[in-house]
Amino acid sequence: MKKSHIAILIVFLICIPLTLYFGTIAARRSFYLTGTLVIIELLVPFFMAFEGRKPQARELVIIAVLCALGVASRVLVPLPHFKPAFAIILLSGMAFGPESGFMVGAITAFAGNFFMGQGPFTPWQMMAYGAGGMLAGFIFQKKLLPKKPLIMAIFGFVMCVVWIGPLLDCSQIFLMLSEINWAGVAASFAAGLPVNVSQGVCTAIVMFLFGRPILEKLDRVKIKYGMMEDADGI
Amino acid sequence: MHSDAFSKCHPAVNLVFFLGAIVATVLIVHPAYVLASIAGAALYYMLLSGQKGLKRILVLLPIFVFVTAVNPLFNTYGDRVLFKVFGRPYTLEALLYGASLAGVLVAMLLWFGCYNAVLTEDKFTSLFGNLAPALSLLLVMVLRMIPNLIKKGRQISGSRMSVGKDASNGRTLTEKISGGMLVVGTLMSWALEGGVVTSDSMQARGYGTAKRTSFMIYRFTGSDGVLAAVIAALLAAIIAFCAKGAASAVFTPTLDIAPVRGTNLAGFIVFVIYMLIPSVMHIREAVQWNISRSRI
Repeated sequence: MKKSHIAILIVFLICIPLTLYFGTIAARRSFYLTGTLVIIELLVPFFMAFEGRKPQARELVIIAVLCALGVASRVLVPLPHFKPAFAIILLSGMAFGPESGFMVGAITAFAGNFFMGQGPFTPWQMMAYGAGGMLAGFIFQKKLLPKKPLIMAIFGFVMCVVWIGPLLDCSQIFLMLSEINWAGVAASFAAGLPVNVSQGVCTAIVMFLFGRPILEKLDRVKIKYGMMEDADGI
Repeated sequence: MHSDAFSKCHPAVNLVFFLGAIVATVLIVHPAYVLASIAGAALYYMLLSGQKGLKRILVLLPIFVFVTAVNPLFNTYGDRVLFKVFGRPYTLEALLYGASLAGVLVAMLLWFGCYNAVLTEDKFTSLFGNLAPALSLLLVMVLRMIPNLIKKGRQISGSRMSVGKDASNGRTLTEKISGGMLVVGTLMSWALEGGVVTSDSMQARGYGTAKRTSFMIYRFTGSDGVLAAVIAALLAAIIAFCAKGAASAVFTPTLDIAPVRGTNLAGFIVFVIYMLIPSVMHIREAVQWNISRSRI
């Protein structure tokens, strides 16, 4: 067995149950800390798999370029609150597969926070973005959905509103509410909805108008240099 | 902040301290401890960033008030009803609980602010360079490329500006978005091609042929060892006191907050000392510096 497979088994069979047990019983009701620990434990096997695969220079550099573009794009579009980063993550997943999509997402969140400031939400954001990129890779590379502008736009919007936004809202709920009940959760999600919808609309616009051109650019580089094509690489 | 005594310690010691401070802050909702954590973090934050720091700390005040006021709306336990909102009781206990949680949030944000100033990205990557070589190389490359790409992006939009197609001059929303994204697209092509050249050059210099060695600029000195031991001892003491219930605080349904006296006071003092470590180191160095300068 590979090291990363063993790590996945250890994480799922030992670490996460133990964390949940101690989180609910030993340290009474610290949902935030428990949640954050589980998320970090989930991230570790992915990073170990990446590390254990001994990625080639090309793969490393391409992932780095995509992450840096995600962070830099925020500065280059002269509109406040217009963040194409998540669209770039999804498109990277679509072009280079689930594993690269995950890495681009997680590292974009982490590296971006070196400029925006790390916060209590950093691991949650890494998980949310990474999983988004990974899911895009699974769905569009396995051709479960066609790479059509409208479908990509809807996919981007739904991912923002249903997955990333609520996950980040959760980290806030756990920190801010003394009693977790449906009324509080509903109110927090409702308060977060405008931000999530604006993020979703922005992602959808980028996917609709620029999804195809960007994918073509990525595919062109992939074909031109024969990148990331080995079957076990993806 | 670069001449700060605590920042000059080994990054591992810094990381352990911040992890300890943040985890302890999250877990303990006892008002006295929350205040101590806020005080420790705010003091160090101000020492690091001076006048600007005070402004940023004051920005946290509305957050504190908001979280405090909102909590009783969703937590209706408690006996002492202050008034009713939408027919639901707004209780004093829940308000106090909310204030404590808001304090925890503020303390965490302050500690993260200090973390961002002390544990800069170079320290972080050097810390994990041996543990995860590919990942930290990736992170270093990303952090180096971001300013690079922004600069190149500005060049691209500059040349577009000279033919009257600058994105920030765009009148409509679509013009701005499409102008900006066009720059991003151009940048993407350029950066990917450049990346291939970089990776070929890395390959040619033997990337991946042997274990990468990393250059560690930070040495673990004797004083780092002492500081690490102090941090570990204080953390162990805090855990021991908390296990005995020195920092236990239950707000709802009835207030039951452990009094800070007797043995509990010892636990509180240990906690305060821990939270003051970076500030004390900073102030001690400043005092020493002034003394030795006045001797000249």
